[in-house]
Amino acid sequence: MGKKISSAIVILLLVLLIICPLLSIFREAAFTEGRFNLSGAIATIAESENAEMIASSLLLGILVVIVSSLIALPLAYIFSRTEFAKYRFFDIIFMIPFMTPPYIASMGWILFMQKRGLMQQLFPSLAFISDWFFSLGGLVLVMSFHVFPFMMTMMKNAMLSVPSSLDEAGAVLGARFLLRIRKLFMPLLTGNYAIGALLVFVKTISEYGTPSTLGRRIGFEVFTTDIHRYATVAPIEFGKSASLASVLIGICIFIWLLQNYITNRRSYSLVGSRPGSVRIGKMRRLPYILCWIFIILVIFFTMVIPLFSVTASSLIKLRGYGLRAGNFTFDNYVKVFTEDKQGTGALLVSIFLAVSSATIASVLGTLSVLASRKAGKRTGRVIEGLSLIPEMLPSIVLVLGIMLFYNGIYRLVPIYGTIWIMVLSYVILFLPYTVQYVTSSFSQIGSSLVAAGRICGGSPSYVFIHVTFPLIFRGILSGWMMTFIIAFRELVTPSLIAPTNTLTVSTYINRQFEQGSVGKGMAMAVICILFSTVSLLLLNKAVAMQKK
Amino acid sequence: MKKALIFMLALFVAVSVAFAASDKGIVTVYMPSPAGLANKLAADFEAKTGIEVRTFQGTTGEILARLETEKANPVADVVILASWSDGLSMKNSGQLESYVPANTENAVPGWIDEDSTLFGYSASAVGVIYNTLIYPELDADWADLADSAYRNDIAIPDPELSGACKDFVSGYVNAFGWDTFEALAENGMTVPGANKAALEAVTTGEVGVLIAGVDYNAYSSIKSGEPLAIYYPESGTVVNPRPAMIMKTAPDMDNAKAFVDYLYSDDAQKMVTDAYLLPGRTDIEYTNRSTLAEIPQIECDWDAMMAISTDAAARINELCAR
Repeated sequence: MGKKISSAIVILLLVLLIICPLLSIFREAAFTEGRFNLSGAIATIAESENAEMIASSLLLGILVVIVSSLIALPLAYIFSRTEFAKYRFFDIIFMIPFMTPPYIASMGWILFMQKRGLMQQLFPSLAFISDWFFSLGGLVLVMSFHVFPFMMTMMKNAMLSVPSSLDEAGAVLGARFLLRIRKLFMPLLTGNYAIGALLVFVKTISEYGTPSTLGRRIGFEVFTTDIHRYATVAPIEFGKSASLASVLIGICIFIWLLQNYITNRRSYSLVGSRPGSVRIGKMRRLPYILCWIFIILVIFFTMVIPLFSVTASSLIKLRGYGLRAGNFTFDNYVKVFTEDKQGTGALLVSIFLAVSSATIASVLGTLSVLASRKAGKRTGRVIEGLSLIPEMLPSIVLVLGIMLFYNGIYRLVPIYGTIWIMVLSYVILFLPYTVQYVTSSFSQIGSSLVAAGRICGGSPSYVFIHVTFPLIFRGILSGWMMTFIIAFRELVTPSLIAPTNTLTVSTYINRQFEQGSVGKGMAMAVICILFSTVSLLLLNKAVAMQKK
Repeated sequence: MKKALIFMLALFVAVSVAFAASDKGIVTVYMPSPAGLANKLAADFEAKTGIEVRTFQGTTGEILARLETEKANPVADVVILASWSDGLSMKNSGQLESYVPANTENAVPGWIDEDSTLFGYSASAVGVIYNTLIYPELDADWADLADSAYRNDIAIPDPELSGACKDFVSGYVNAFGWDTFEALAENGMTVPGANKAALEAVTTGEVGVLIAGVDYNAYSSIKSGEPLAIYYPESGTVVNPRPAMIMKTAPDMDNAKAFVDYLYSDDAQKMVTDAYLLPGRTDIEYTNRSTLAEIPQIECDWDAMMAISTDAAARINELCAR
């Protein structure tokens, strides 16, 4: 009986938090003056500029999949099946593109590439690249540079699960390297690759940071920027915004279904696939050098250039004179904290949002995992599915829904326009992190442990506190950590629903970049990157200590 | 673990306190850049009256959008815009409260409308801003900048985001027609963004010349040593009073009126001139910029300008996108 009530409460809560905002989007799109009427939504989608936008979003997604595959696939091979697999420090280095928020990286690229920008100051003869960069090509590159580590990690793990014995068997039977790749690896990895490609595609069409900075610069509109524009720039048209959001939701759901289908059709269990089944031979000299060159090029373009550009810009005194001896200063950093209250305020607000949303999401996420495990198989599935929805949909869609929903019920729950709606929105967006980490730490606990606790006379709550909780605590902590870092730099929520007087780190950087002092904006960007990197290292250490 | 919990709790309390209102009440003001001026005005008003000022800062476009979103649950008491014509259209839609502020005996004639709903407590003008590392000297008139000597080296702030630029475009088009802007667009004029982004483009030399750049930004950059200069072309520009307005729906009406009174006080007017804006009173002296009398002006028919301004702003973006 108690079980039923607890899972009912969790389901109710998740429906209220996640499903209601999504329904308000469909309502806004499909109802005019209380009546069901799809004509407005259809007219919006059919408007020639919107149709064009939808086409260019999809094109962008496809191009980013292609380019990030070209970067990720060779790296995945290098880091799984060659000597380079030993060098674990690459794992940390390839966290950097992920630690750099996309809007900061693209600002770095803009400052580097623009006419008479940093690149032209260093190498005046490369000016021709600038014209080329401010086009769809540049946008595709910058977005691929951010998203490729996801595909790399997925493919690396997939390649690690193909045992060397297969490869050796092929070699013994006389197949050359390329033939083995074609006949052996490719068939085994297509399923994984398809999943990775779809993930990259969804991430690309959901991304707001890069299109809103670099994309706007070149007049390239995509779903996320159009949804944002209709919802924030006069004349406001929530109906149009909601119609586009509905289309985007449709595309995402279709892709997840497709992914699910592929996963079910194309998964193999390989004989002899276990950790250590990949044997690594010594490489010959030429391939070894080529691998190094490739790795260094990737690191240079995806990390060194944007980070150099952001840091250099934060240190330049007078922008009119650029990179020049004597034109460097730490003033911008001092000004962030002293010139007005905004810089410090933004940092405090971001820390507050990160800590509070991470904490609430941990509690709610853990509760929903517990509820879904306690409940029957069906109900459990429902709870898990609900709590993972925010992971599958673009955050701008969810935030738009939250905005519409809480604006509508303002008289009942007056949190629209306060900091609490931001906390709420962060909790919803980042709930899946806790759910995933806690679920995976549960899967490592055998049921016999709990049974043993019960046999020794522990009450269920005693067993939970002394057996289960300590075992899943690491999962909760990891989820907390991820949420904290992502929430600290979140851009979409504050740019849509931040109350008056409230800037976060991300909106502060954006505002300074577009309407204030670029130097101050970039100084805050450096602080933001350092802050997230240091917290990641510290929290990693905390998790490691918990392990002992 | 315990320590971490206590820390979080302390942070939680600290932030909640920071968001709580002071007991003298609040006034919510939406105002455009410059951010420095907005913050100083807010802080000084708080210190003098004990009324807490909550500000939202954004471009004219963002402020109008915010007002529209909040129609059902009004938040703003006082709205300041950088565009007189947008102010007039707010008045025409019946959103503004009429009031006679204190200290306005010496207000610049014409900078308060006849119904006393728009209070032009400060003003800016747009001019030609150029990078002195690229053009040591420049005094070309608007139309002359369509010369091939400036090909692909001119920019204009986005008039859909910058109120000052929007008023200039509608004023110029109303007086002289579209020829000049068409020729400029033909000459490779770009739209880098709102005022500050456009100024950034000319500061870094991404373009050499900025057309219709708002002047106070330029003066403050020149003061800090950037290689920039500004002039007002001889055929004239638009001086554009920045209207402060009291919303009819103001939740804190008395505080809103007190804030508008304050904007015309000696101290506030001094801060206005320190930000390189033109003061809203004729008896305030300033030497850090061109005075109102020195700026050549286009004859402005604000009602006619208001009627075309939104479409004209959109047209500029269309012309330059080609």
